[in-house]
Amino acid sequence: MDLSRRRFLQTAVLTAAAAGVTTACGGGSGKSGSKDSKDLKFWYWAGGLSDKVVADSKKHFSDVKLKTSVIGGDFKTKLLTGMKTAQTAPDITGIKGEDIASFLPNANRFLDLNSLGMDKLAPEYLSWKLKQATTQDGKVIGFPIDIGPCAVYYREDIFDQAGLPTDPAKVSAQLSTWDAYFDAGVELHKKVPKSFLINNIGAVFSMAVGQGTQRFIDEDNKFIGDQDHIRTAWTTAVKPYTLDIDAKINDNTWNAAISKGTVATGLGAAWYALDIQNAAPGTKGKWRVASLPSGPSNLGGSFLCLPATCANPELAFEVVKWILSPENQARGFADAALFPTSPAAYKLPELTGGDAFFGGQKTIDIFGPAAEKIPAAYEAPADAAVSAPYYSELTAIEAKGKDPEAAWKDAVSQAKQIAQRQGVK
Amino acid sequence: MSSSPVAGPVPTGPSSGSANGPSGQPAPDRHRGPGRSGRRVRPVPAHRPPAGSRRGPRRWIARYGTQYLAISPYYLIFSVFMLFPMLYTVYLAFQKWDGIGEMKFVGLDQFRFLWDDPVFWLSLRNTLVIWVLSTVPMLFMALVMAVLINSTRRLTAFYRVALFIPSITSLVAIAIFFGAIFSNNFGLINAVLKAMHLSAVPWLSNEWTIKLVIATLMTWQWTGYNAIIYLAGLQAIPSELYEAARMDGAGPTRMFFSITIPLLRPIILFTVVISTVTGLQSFTEPQVLFGSDASTNPNSGGPGRAGLTTLLYFYNQAFDYNDFGYAAAIVWAFFLLILLIVVINWRLVQGKERRP
Repeated sequence: MDLSRRRFLQTAVLTAAAAGVTTACGGGSGKSGSKDSKDLKFWYWAGGLSDKVVADSKKHFSDVKLKTSVIGGDFKTKLLTGMKTAQTAPDITGIKGEDIASFLPNANRFLDLNSLGMDKLAPEYLSWKLKQATTQDGKVIGFPIDIGPCAVYYREDIFDQAGLPTDPAKVSAQLSTWDAYFDAGVELHKKVPKSFLINNIGAVFSMAVGQGTQRFIDEDNKFIGDQDHIRTAWTTAVKPYTLDIDAKINDNTWNAAISKGTVATGLGAAWYALDIQNAAPGTKGKWRVASLPSGPSNLGGSFLCLPATCANPELAFEVVKWILSPENQARGFADAALFPTSPAAYKLPELTGGDAFFGGQKTIDIFGPAAEKIPAAYEAPADAAVSAPYYSELTAIEAKGKDPEAAWKDAVSQAKQIAQRQGVK
Repeated sequence: MSSSPVAGPVPTGPSSGSANGPSGQPAPDRHRGPGRSGRRVRPVPAHRPPAGSRRGPRRWIARYGTQYLAISPYYLIFSVFMLFPMLYTVYLAFQKWDGIGEMKFVGLDQFRFLWDDPVFWLSLRNTLVIWVLSTVPMLFMALVMAVLINSTRRLTAFYRVALFIPSITSLVAIAIFFGAIFSNNFGLINAVLKAMHLSAVPWLSNEWTIKLVIATLMTWQWTGYNAIIYLAGLQAIPSELYEAARMDGAGPTRMFFSITIPLLRPIILFTVVISTVTGLQSFTEPQVLFGSDASTNPNSGGPGRAGLTTLLYFYNQAFDYNDFGYAAAIVWAFFLLILLIVVINWRLVQGKERRP
């Protein structure tokens, strides 16, 4: 009994040790070779790329073993964890548009795509989008997957009931400024009382900030969130609240609001079309798209990046280049509503065709020109963190009727504190 | 949560067992220790000292190795996934770190920021309000339910299962469901209110109703669990006491307050401590209820940050804005607060146990 137990223990310990050694070796040998591995780990999230294009890339690069993983949950956190060691890090990874700025201070953890040939491809892609993935010393860490040119999505039938123009060109012409847009909203709410113009004022703020060339922190790492351009955006955002054309929806009832016509317009990027279609399939044919009041803005749009530990940089770049070629980007738009970052794609049939959900409207007429005119603004690594209090205070106005002036003061003082915490001057 | 009721009522079991083992056994070793060093001076009996010095630990391993090996998985996993991260956050609280770049030592800066951060204090207030709003009705209703079930003889198994189901249901699913019930424009409750010609309540956008919804959710989930614990306590009260009281002419209310409550006191205090620790750690409820996947301003706890609990704020700073040092400071400050409340609880327990 005693002996057998001892033997059992010895076996158990030996097995455990052996297992440990094998994993250690197995992990080590994977990346110990030179940078010409044919095995590439490829991470993205559901909807981040067209699954059809990714599947075709495996056929196109038949000599490469492309191991794709669709990562669920909080992608950025999982990427940060994965990049701790070379064994667990992907060779190609997606990075979301709202996260790219926070990765720029650690650009040395990624390959400079210019050294792999991005500099020659650059003219084919939108320069303002490339700038978001470019460090101040000129390194490019991300290949742009898609962009989010913004527009006004509106219910043609409700506009008709309210006696407003219904044709996209006329709507774009009449709602050319924020004030004209809000005036139309007042008119609409008067004629169709159950419908509001917008779902919440945070959406207006984010659009208005995106229309400028400066955000919350400037290139010298100085806090500018208390200056005129932000103040103007704030004043614009508060207007629909004071005019009572704000539906004040800050929870997950947006789906129901969209399908029941509680909100007659939506401010959103190109991919917003997919959200509306999923939330309200019954409203097919009733929606149209018009230009954003007071100029184009961008919301979101992701990148593909190569971590510095990439097993085969040249090959990985070839894969990325192929997946994001203008032709494949056009397929990505048709398949997953990813709006192309290469203007060449805007002339391809996938984009120039009419969209049945929008009553056959050729939405590229609105999004195409907007995409090329989006202002290039510097987005600091701490930008998202510093902008948070503005959005929270805007919801405080909606939720408890907080005085907009007091809310502005609180937002600025909190943003200043976060800026200081994040090392902004 | 699930292991705590077991660990709670029987703290003496494992600790007394392990205390006997080491104290009983190493004693002979200790006697042999000085003897060994004495023998080392005399080189003559060469075969004994090495054998003895080696046999000690070897015999110890043979005797207790298996037991320690058997319990080691828990402690290994605990050290790797709990103890190490916990100690690491102490270190992190004095650094500035974005999760991928280099760490920078900043001394007490993070705590200074914390002291001046109105959002942190707001999150503490939210957490405490939600905790009180959920724990008080929860424990009261649990007690009433337990007494009611204890007095019936039919379908008791069904009641017990029904009471326990909420506590093992996925919290995310419950939160989504509650979100639909309390939805401002299209929720079930507002639909009923409208049908009764009452005005709808903006449950998920008002500063107070947001807290009420979160507290209701927590109450719904944990009332049954606490009722089961109370039920076990009630069944340990001898029925002779009730019979005697009935003979003396006491009604059900009198019996409840004069027999049930005093005899249940240790169990009530146990549930108070457990609900304090879990109730203060509310996180998933507001996270699921209010747009955790939004690209702008995620995990901010809903309109006006009314549902921003401290743990949600911690998560927001660590994983949305990658300010890991500051997040570590938040979570340690919060730990001190929970510790303070638990110490107050504990004092209450002691004070009450000494009196009788």
